[in-house]
Amino acid sequence: MLTEQGYIKAKSVEEAFVNANNHLDGFRYVAGGTDVIVNKFQGNEDAQILIDISGIEELKHIKIKEDYIEIGALTKLDDLKKHNIISDRFPSLIEAAEAVASPVIRKTATIGGNILCENRCTFYNQSEWWRSAAGYCLKCNGDICIATGGKNNCLSKFVSDTAIVLISIDAKIEVSDHQQTSIIPIESIYSGDGVNSRNLSKTALLKSILISNTEEYQTIYKKLRQRETIDFGSLMTAVSLNNEKVKIVLGGVDPKPIVVEGNIEDDLNELILQATKKARTVDNDVYSRKYRKEMIAVFLKRSLQELKLM
Amino acid sequence: MKQLNIKINGKQFHLMVKEHEMLSTVIREKAGLTGTKIGCEQGSCGACTVLINNEAVLSCISPALRYENAEITTIEALAKDGVLHKLQKKFVEKGAIQCGFCTPGMVLTALSLTPSLNLEDGMEVLTRQVKEGLSGNLCRCTGYKKVIDAVVEYAIESSESIEEDVEPLSSSVAVGVSRPYIEAEKKVKGAAEYADDIVMKNTLHCKLLRSKYPHAKIVEIDTSEALKLDGVHYIATGKELPITFGVLPISQDETAMAVDKVRYVGEVVAAVAADSEGIAGEACKLIKITYKQLQPFLNIDESLNDVGENERIHDTGKFNNNIHKKAELRFGDQQKGLTEADVTTKMSFEFLGINHGFTEPHAATAFWDENGLTITTATQVPHYLHRALAKVMEVPLSRVRVIKPYLGGGFGGKSDPFPHEMIVSHLARKTGRPVRVRLSREEVFITNHGRHPSKMSVEMGVSLNGEFKALDADIAIDGGAYGSFGVVTSYYNGVLLQAPYKLDNFGFRAFRVNTNKPQCGAMRGHGAVNSRFAVESIIDDLAMKINIDPCKLRLQNFLTSNTQTVGQYRITSNGSREALLKVMEQSEWDKKIGTLESGHGLGVACGFFISGSALPIIWNELPQSVVHLKLDFDGRVLVTSGSSDIGQGSDTMLAIIVAEVLGISMDKIFVLAADTLLTPVDFGSYSSRVTFMAGNAAKDAAENLKKEIIEAIVKAKGVDAEELSFSDSRVFSFDKAVDLSWMETVDILTAKRGAVSVSGKYISPKLGGDFKGAGAGLSPSYTFGACIAEVKVDIETGQVKVMNVWGAHDCGKAINPMAVEGQLEGSWHMGVGQAISEQMKYYKGLLLNNNFLDYKIPTSLDTPDIHANIIETIDPEGPFGAKEAGEGAIHPVIPAIANAVFNAVGVRITKLPINAEDVLAQIRDHQISNNK
Repeated sequence: MLTEQGYIKAKSVEEAFVNANNHLDGFRYVAGGTDVIVNKFQGNEDAQILIDISGIEELKHIKIKEDYIEIGALTKLDDLKKHNIISDRFPSLIEAAEAVASPVIRKTATIGGNILCENRCTFYNQSEWWRSAAGYCLKCNGDICIATGGKNNCLSKFVSDTAIVLISIDAKIEVSDHQQTSIIPIESIYSGDGVNSRNLSKTALLKSILISNTEEYQTIYKKLRQRETIDFGSLMTAVSLNNEKVKIVLGGVDPKPIVVEGNIEDDLNELILQATKKARTVDNDVYSRKYRKEMIAVFLKRSLQELKLM
Repeated sequence: MKQLNIKINGKQFHLMVKEHEMLSTVIREKAGLTGTKIGCEQGSCGACTVLINNEAVLSCISPALRYENAEITTIEALAKDGVLHKLQKKFVEKGAIQCGFCTPGMVLTALSLTPSLNLEDGMEVLTRQVKEGLSGNLCRCTGYKKVIDAVVEYAIESSESIEEDVEPLSSSVAVGVSRPYIEAEKKVKGAAEYADDIVMKNTLHCKLLRSKYPHAKIVEIDTSEALKLDGVHYIATGKELPITFGVLPISQDETAMAVDKVRYVGEVVAAVAADSEGIAGEACKLIKITYKQLQPFLNIDESLNDVGENERIHDTGKFNNNIHKKAELRFGDQQKGLTEADVTTKMSFEFLGINHGFTEPHAATAFWDENGLTITTATQVPHYLHRALAKVMEVPLSRVRVIKPYLGGGFGGKSDPFPHEMIVSHLARKTGRPVRVRLSREEVFITNHGRHPSKMSVEMGVSLNGEFKALDADIAIDGGAYGSFGVVTSYYNGVLLQAPYKLDNFGFRAFRVNTNKPQCGAMRGHGAVNSRFAVESIIDDLAMKINIDPCKLRLQNFLTSNTQTVGQYRITSNGSREALLKVMEQSEWDKKIGTLESGHGLGVACGFFISGSALPIIWNELPQSVVHLKLDFDGRVLVTSGSSDIGQGSDTMLAIIVAEVLGISMDKIFVLAADTLLTPVDFGSYSSRVTFMAGNAAKDAAENLKKEIIEAIVKAKGVDAEELSFSDSRVFSFDKAVDLSWMETVDILTAKRGAVSVSGKYISPKLGGDFKGAGAGLSPSYTFGACIAEVKVDIETGQVKVMNVWGAHDCGKAINPMAVEGQLEGSWHMGVGQAISEQMKYYKGLLLNNNFLDYKIPTSLDTPDIHANIIETIDPEGPFGAKEAGEGAIHPVIPAIANAVFNAVGVRITKLPINAEDVLAQIRDHQISNNK
């Protein structure tokens, strides 16, 4: 039946919390909404109360402090490149942001939304009608994983472009859940479970992203996809070099970002192998599992070569 | 519901909107501004783009309530006081508008983009930025080239504040002059009404309930709960409309809704008419259907085999399998030819199905009144729909009227009568009210009628000196659940291989099977695109084997003009040679070939296509096309034609031809087309027939009008008929003793007589042999072309990037060169899609990629630089020498890309789309075998 729907525009973080707590059984925060709304059309997002946080001014800032740079979670992806310090210091973050969706979507989509973007799978990102015809999968309260033909855990793929670059440069996020605010490494919020892919409480709000303003990183970002725009990644890699530390981050090949850390003295081929092995990749994408697995090494080698480490 | 206060185009609205309503529906349905289009409902196509505080926003995924007190600009506000915005002018002037459906979104995106463009670093950088900026706006017609040109020029000119007003073309020389479509302004202003834009009062909304099983008996349909829902007016099921239909008389195998069983996932089982789309959709969920599942047949091999105990998809046909049609023709002696050949190549190919991807989803509104049924629908073939509706609705032909409004792209995908058109007509009759339907993008994909998935094995032989000896093709195509154009497709796969090369020993066998998937039908380049790919790939291989340059091998084997093929096709004008030489020169083939580094390659291929099917689909003695002209006291010539302008520019073509014959300017012409009540029959926009056939009918009509005018002037002025000339909107004798303005001419013509109406027609000459199957592929003229493609292949990833396409197409004579270029660029863009990214992927009969995110139409960034060349051969029977340009051009581009991949990395592509994984695997095999 047609059920009661609500649309609440929160003006402040506090207002968002209050409304969230008032509708605990069926609300969803919406920032840019470019993914949430599509998921809603397809019946994968069934919250009856949408709390629109896109108007919260206090989350739209970019602050340059002595030891860190703070990016408000509601900063639009398209606006990142307009900020000289970010584009000078972190060109790969701009590259990743510019690799998200299409130019017009990036004028609405936010960096926070991208970090928290829902995992994807060929068999999940379908209309309600399609999924009912195919048989519901684990991620939509069904009993079976269609992609693997029966495994009992969901391996939907993690698709945030900006998150993997941010992880590679050891960025942290400020997460607030009503009275409590904590600053944690980004990677810690990803659960690895394809169904509930983030460890955040439902009412928690991602407020800002914090990047070190003292450490120097060189990062190479790459994305595998069929078209040069619009498409979600079939594999994304970010490889960073900070002093002697090498950090490899993969997206698109596991329910969470794969992180492998090492040192320039290490056997880098071994690091590549580790990353490849860690990725629990399944056939849930336009490219096959096998091909995406193979491309991990190709992309990582190229990145390490560009960093002059190989 | 909540109140939304919003300013749209400067006007304050206070609207009640649903909590989760999107901005696009508020703009379209509440503010009535239908220039904002819905193409995909998920932000992947850009047609819904509007400006909010001058930034581009995708209104179809933007909740309306977010925009309380915001200022929205839609396409309707761009022109000020009737004067187009400079960017709109550029779109018109550059021919950046074809079907026009993506145009409003494209224009607004471009407008928001231009302030940020860097103009300092040269054209290449600027063009790249524009391509990037527009990369979220899909266009299926133009190949983006003219769109990008328009935006780049606008950006440069607005920075230099050049006030350059293009002079309107006033000369009466009409044919051969590039000009925008006559309706381009209406489209660029967002004023052109497409099927879903037309709103009638008191209309009910229809939603369709579709099967979730590929093959199943319908045991019971229970609509009782759904009928209880408030706002539901009628629920129809298959038994109410049992009469079968189909575009071809020989495969009338489809019903409006499944009657006893369903044959594909997505087949319509029931339809609801309700007060709103939402209620109709809810009602669909309440309909209970009990099915008994049957064994599905999901691929060609399963369907070729005997079904054993299982039930066949259709219980027609002599054998216990799912073969729908076998077509076979043989000429000469292929075995002998292959034996005589010094070198032969036999290869197997596989092609996945592809979809037209037009940006405007199907939509229709039907109603009944004292005149019977009227339906306004997005169709390429009003005439065949007219016939099908009369049959299914069981009313005389005289009680059906089909109107085609502006149409947002077809490419063959709107050229069948469709179930939803039957259904809304039926619901409208049952409820006594207008009923409208619009399909979601997912529904458009499962309605399909796209290119058949195919498998084929093709063999060719050549002598050492490069003479083709034989061609033999063994083909199987997957037709899906119903017939559509499939019988024709089966023949075209074979017969269209008998040219452009001289072949004395030629034959093919083609099977079309039914499978439990959405049906396949006609798509741009109908039938022969895949088999052409096979032949051109084999020719490339043969050239390697006998060590002759592949261009030279082709040049050596072309048929000439004024000849006949082995299957008795009459070839008149033939620009094969000129086309190939042109692209060789332009691409610097001779200089580059063999010198490119590994991973970088050039490939060539040629093409051949019909310019209108010489035989009607339904056998009758009507002319192929009739055009009427009416000239009244006001001096305007009304052109009426049943032909369908689907964005290819046929209305403009008709106007140009009439203007040319009468020597008058275009502003004295008005075209009324594609309304089966008001316009004479034209068979429709399929088989690339409109310019040749409707164009000839228009020319005939204009000549008849000219005769009438001459007769009247001879009588009034006593001048010799031979003395009179028509030019510059004047009629005059050589000595200027008679020198009349157009209005004076019209006064003389209409004196004591009033409006003059004349008719013109086109009837194909009798063509072809008298053997069974001789009619397949017969055309009064044929077109030819060539493409050279340049690719770069990443040898570590297998990814193929098409860098350049140089193409040339023999269109006889370009009536409107800008429109012809647009067709060629669009064809090559579409071919690049089939070559590198497009495919329809199924999971147990369910289409996996049923949206514009997962079905990979190339964006502006994925489309290579396209260099279009028009070859003019002046066909003896075409209007002013013109032939088709809309379909044939696609044939050579796909194999040219694959041959370029071979040239780059030594990998022979035998499967489409070219898949990076396959390329990579083969590169490795190739390296291994090279190292041995």
